[in-house]
Amino acid sequence: MAAASPDLLSIAMMADEIRRRMHGTRTTFVRVFEVHVETPLVALPNGLAAGELRIIGRPASLDAAVTAVRAAAAPRTGVPLTGFAMNDLERLAGTTGETLAGICAALRDAGLNGVSELPVDAVSDATAATRTARGAGLSVMRLTVQAPDDARIPTLVLARQLQAAAGGFKAFAPLSRTMSVSAPSTGYDDVKHVALARMLVDNVASIQVDWALYGPKLAQVALTVGADDVDNVAAVDPGTLGTRRSPIEEIRGNIRAAALDPFERNGLFESLPS
Amino acid sequence: MHQIGAKVQRGERLDRGEALELYLHAPTSLLGRLSDGIRARKHPDGLVTYIIDRNVNYTNVCVARCNFCAFYRPVGSSEGYVLGFEEIFRKIDETIALGGGQLLVQGGHNPDLPLEWYEDLFKSIKQRYPAFRLHALSPPEVIHLSRMSRLPVPQVIDRLIAAGLDSIPGGGAEILVDRVRKLLNCYSKASADEWLGVMRAAHHAGLRTTATMMYGTVETMEERVEHLFRLRELQDETGGFTAFITWSYQPEHTELGGGEATGIDYLRTLALARIVLDNFDNLQASWVTQGGKVGQLSLAFGANDMGSVMIEENVVRAAGASYCMDEIEIVRNIENAGFTPKRRNMHYELLGDPIFRERDVPRMLTLAVARADGDASRPPEIARYTARSAAEKKARLTGH
Ligand code: SF4
Repeated sequence: MAAASPDLLSIAMMADEIRRRMHGTRTTFVRVFEVHVETPLVALPNGLAAGELRIIGRPASLDAAVTAVRAAAAPRTGVPLTGFAMNDLERLAGTTGETLAGICAALRDAGLNGVSELPVDAVSDATAATRTARGAGLSVMRLTVQAPDDARIPTLVLARQLQAAAGGFKAFAPLSRTMSVSAPSTGYDDVKHVALARMLVDNVASIQVDWALYGPKLAQVALTVGADDVDNVAAVDPGTLGTRRSPIEEIRGNIRAAALDPFERNGLFESLPS
Repeated sequence: MHQIGAKVQRGERLDRGEALELYLHAPTSLLGRLSDGIRARKHPDGLVTYIIDRNVNYTNVCVARCNFCAFYRPVGSSEGYVLGFEEIFRKIDETIALGGGQLLVQGGHNPDLPLEWYEDLFKSIKQRYPAFRLHALSPPEVIHLSRMSRLPVPQVIDRLIAAGLDSIPGGGAEILVDRVRKLLNCYSKASADEWLGVMRAAHHAGLRTTATMMYGTVETMEERVEHLFRLRELQDETGGFTAFITWSYQPEHTELGGGEATGIDYLRTLALARIVLDNFDNLQASWVTQGGKVGQLSLAFGANDMGSVMIEENVVRAAGASYCMDEIEIVRNIENAGFTPKRRNMHYELLGDPIFRERDVPRMLTLAVARADGDASRPPEIARYTARSAAEKKARLTGH
């Protein structure tokens, strides 16, 4: 069974071959400006260069969610605005008595373009939820994994099944969004998991890795073992890093140093001019 | 490429041109395969070792002023410090409690610490802790002492050995090409030949040493390759190096600035080193600069050692990296990669299984520092040694 095999390099090479057949050296990335739902946007920061505005965090109420969306949509930047994880919207439906369709419609009316992510391990009926959100006019394009998955296979199967049932997902980010502090996943774990995701979830075009969450080093390695898309590159230069490179130079430099070619996209997976 | 790869697999030596060709054009996976094959040939038992020791940076005052260094403070700086002997003893006690048996002692080139200070320090450590090992003073520090004491390097080494020095760390090598050293403002602390000369003298005196490379500043790939070949040549001559460690330049808070080389650069450089340094038994992973994940992936790119369970680290942290792994975490990473973890000493003699499986050791989720912030105390024994800098002379008169 590949998942238990220590021959990391063989698995990595197989996945890289598949990735190259699908995408060649093309490697996409998106610069994301995150706004927390509890602290709605007041003004966009100077020097913002985002391909996606994203509202993060769990909304306490529908009002809070709508307020955050309205605030983020107000500057009318033309940059796609996404927000929330599908399971949090489901939970909101459960606690407010509103239907998921109603919630999605309210968010769309407030200016939301899409649901940021659908964690395959945290949504009970993901196919139905996806159809409902899309029916209300929101895009749902990104599959994620919420919790570390000991077996490391079921989430891959879920992602594949969901794509087969609902279609329309552009990217799957197989590395979990939460990590154990005392025993975080290792480099071997992450590399094998990304590689297996590329092999198994062959019906989703892109395997994605989170730049901010996993860090440039692991994210870059992931690009050589099956991943082809980088999420969550900073959209504002923190400026605190002295003479260090800006986020855009950093991501492009890392992609090129892996002998790949960088292409910027937006939150709707549309190419941006370089 | 195919021919070069086949040569490596047959265990034959590469020349400079072939090594460069491999680095520039081989896919990362091929470099991994080749270097992993060498690791497996040299260490067929599947053991991956590590050492429990502590980095003690006895002073951050330095006259060398290398432009890639975020650690040093100029003479007279209010942030400059010298550790007292008692402070160092406390650090040794803590190290022993965690199962460690060695200090890695390195510091700035402080004009107010003469050779006698080092001798007294080493002697007093050996008196209190006879079995404790001192892996101390990289070649530029030895040269600094040689210049200050006006004694030739071999004599300085002999005196340090007599005081208790056990081995010499390979720091300060950066890139062993003088063009690069001049650009990094570290040529005057030690030219490439001088660095190698100290190591040659140390090996002749019977000491084992390590070798290092800091890449990713201003060097070309040819110069990176040249560095490895200079080490290979000296190792052919003396056989005194126990291990090689490479790490990427850490740019934050340095005068040189710029960006850091990427994780893939690191894995490729490590793999190339494993391929070129065919006369080195051991390659360490630099998780301190690469983080635990790429640090662990080093084990698939030629490394057979996880380096040090570092209890304290000041130099890399000053330049922005702050990764921490205690013994439990290092062992977990080794086993997760399919290897058997063993504790070792500086000479790569196996000391046994993980300490935490034998007895309770406290977990270390953050690294200690040389000194608590704001601690500007002056060690009492410093007054016994002649001050050379004007700043220190004044400080002694005024008391701070
Ligand atoms: S690298 Fe060493 S010699 Fe150079 S400035 Fe820093 S402390 Fe001094």
